[in-house]
Amino acid sequence: MTERILDHPVLGVLEPDQTVTFTFNGMKYEGRCGEPIAAALLAAGIRTLRHHEESGTPRGIYCNIGHCFECRVEVDGHQGVRACLTPVREGMVINGGGALPSPVRDWRKDNA
Amino acid sequence: MTDRDMIVCRCEEVTYGELVDTAGQFACNSRELKLRTRAGMGYCGGRTCRSLVDAIALAATERDVTQITLKYQPPVRPVHFGDLGAIPND
Amino acid sequence: MRDLIIIGSGPAGLTAAITAAEHGLDILVIDEYLKPGGRLLGQLYEEPGGNWWNGIEESRKLAGRASSLGLDIRLGISVHNIEQIDGSWLVHADCETFETKSLLLATGAAEAPVAIPGWTLPGVMSVGAAQVMTNVHRVKPGQRGVIIGVNVLSSAIAMELKIADVEVAAIALPKTNQVNGKAANPSEVMNALLHVSHMAPSPLVKMGSKLMTNDFMKRMGITLYPKNGVRMWDIPVMLRKAVIRIEGTDQVEGVTLATVTAEGKIIPGTEEVIGCDFVCIAGGLYPLAELAALTGCPFYHIDELGGFVPLHSEDMRTPLDGLYVAGNITGIEGAKVAMSQGKTAALAIAKDHGQDIADTSLSEAVRQISSTRSDAHIQFHSEVEAGRRKLQEYWEQHAAGMRNVMV
Ligand SMILES: Cc1cc2nc3c(=O)[nH]c(=O)nc-3n(C[C@H](O)[C@H](O)[C@H](O)COP(=O)(O)OP(=O)(O)OC[C@H]3O[C@@H](n4cnc5c(N)ncnc54)[C@H](O)[C@@H]3O)c2cc1C
Ligand code: FES
Repeated sequence: MTERILDHPVLGVLEPDQTVTFTFNGMKYEGRCGEPIAAALLAAGIRTLRHHEESGTPRGIYCNIGHCFECRVEVDGHQGVRACLTPVREGMVINGGGALPSPVRDWRKDNA
Repeated sequence: MTDRDMIVCRCEEVTYGELVDTAGQFACNSRELKLRTRAGMGYCGGRTCRSLVDAIALAATERDVTQITLKYQPPVRPVHFGDLGAIPND
Repeated sequence: MRDLIIIGSGPAGLTAAITAAEHGLDILVIDEYLKPGGRLLGQLYEEPGGNWWNGIEESRKLAGRASSLGLDIRLGISVHNIEQIDGSWLVHADCETFETKSLLLATGAAEAPVAIPGWTLPGVMSVGAAQVMTNVHRVKPGQRGVIIGVNVLSSAIAMELKIADVEVAAIALPKTNQVNGKAANPSEVMNALLHVSHMAPSPLVKMGSKLMTNDFMKRMGITLYPKNGVRMWDIPVMLRKAVIRIEGTDQVEGVTLATVTAEGKIIPGTEEVIGCDFVCIAGGLYPLAELAALTGCPFYHIDELGGFVPLHSEDMRTPLDGLYVAGNITGIEGAKVAMSQGKTAALAIAKDHGQDIADTSLSEAVRQISSTRSDAHIQFHSEVEAGRRKLQEYWEQHAAGMRNVMV
């Protein structure tokens, strides 16, 4: 479990924000309105955001600023959404991707 | 997990062993190394692993300071096909 | 069509936007992040005078000034391509395309990794990721972390974690392999740290001033360096231990460390496992110049600036008409330098748009970049001045080449 830093010696007290409810892989979670999906999930103790499309290895945030795309999830039906820079909203339906059944690489091995 | 199995390109899951072997076999530059192994050709466009792939290639080749080792190609962020070809609106 | 589009709302982009707006230009700022401020947002350190450099506050000030000028800042939009067509620039962003006469690229820097077996496990993140989670989103990256890679950024962020009451079990080197290079070599790392005296962990500097005198002493320094590290803010900085593996099945559970020789070779039988729930990878920063690279702008690799940088003049013009650069895209430095570069770029742009900008105010802005640089509290490369000089020489060579073509 990770924690929110409510009182920071230099940055001060975390101002209260509106709480939103969203789902991730079918489970209900709460977050602070407007914080990135990845932050809301980490605060709830969730590190694994998706599984690699081919090997199925678990992945979480890596760069946290939009560069690496490791945090990509499906949000309200849109794929490839970066959880580290997409604000969480009330009622969002988020799914972490899993291993895909027919990776391009298998096709390539046999055909190219 | 051994070093050889260590992943270098996180998107395409290209391993250290694969890259070192390919670089050794073909004494190739980064670009060729990328094309041969797919390292740096995944979702992130090589933003994460390019320095690592460069390092392996540079062990066998000289750096040309005027040539970006792994060329960038548009789009530098993945785009949904439906969004391409939008018309200027401003 | 706009007068100016700025890509990036970090310290460089925002300062440029403010300056250009003050000179009457019609501007659009685009950034893919959810807040304005770029990497300034996460910064937090105490300056020598005892003042805190609080990135959130500084970003708020810049954004506040921008909004009082009525600036149009669009967040959450990624630019994926730019093209120059018929004397104007097209900026392709997500599902929209914008047209502008001038384009300023202020896209900042990206982090380079070191690679360690196990580094794809959830819980392993770049050191900047931990900084942003802690200072910007106010969520602890974990309870107890290990930082792999000893450099200016990782020591600064280790302290920030400590302030936020996140335990850092150790800062250690990455293991030696073909990709980790100098970052895995204890002697090289020690040298690099001793050279960036302002930010280097203070106990090292004290030790270092004695060691810097000759090579023999320097080698002795790393040989005598305590195996369990020197404590900095109570965090062990280990220059004689390397992380050889990150442990865990579904997420990080710990790391395996081993003692290494002065050259970074693992001493067999010294492996030990320490527990942690997150790991930070710190391989340094490089200029994020991908959009400039799509334009045909010439590039040069300059180590002291952090990698490949687009060719540009002291007043932030590139050789391409209407294309300008400012901030870490031009080399890795602190936020204050980025701001002064942003201001300079904006003055050059305003001048090129026919605004009444005196040559003296432009050259004064250029001078201010240098003075900001020499006063900087944080420096990522000790030879950054030399790097800037190299770039200036390339610029002059290029300009001379162009003149020859013209006659
Ligand atoms: C992870 C990290 C941590 C850092 N920590 C410190 C620190 O602690 N202290 C310090 O002094 N310096 C630090 N730096 C250095 C930092 O780059 C400078 O201090 C300063 O922020 C540079 O300002 P800038 O305006 O050039 O770029 P940035 O502040 O990086 O801003 C660039 C902006 O451009 C946006 N952008 C980039 N590409 C696109 C695109 N294609 N489409 C849309 N938007 C885009 C980004 O989202 C970002 O907001 C750090 C850098 C990084 C990468
Ligand atoms: S964690 Fe890298 S893009 Fe989100």
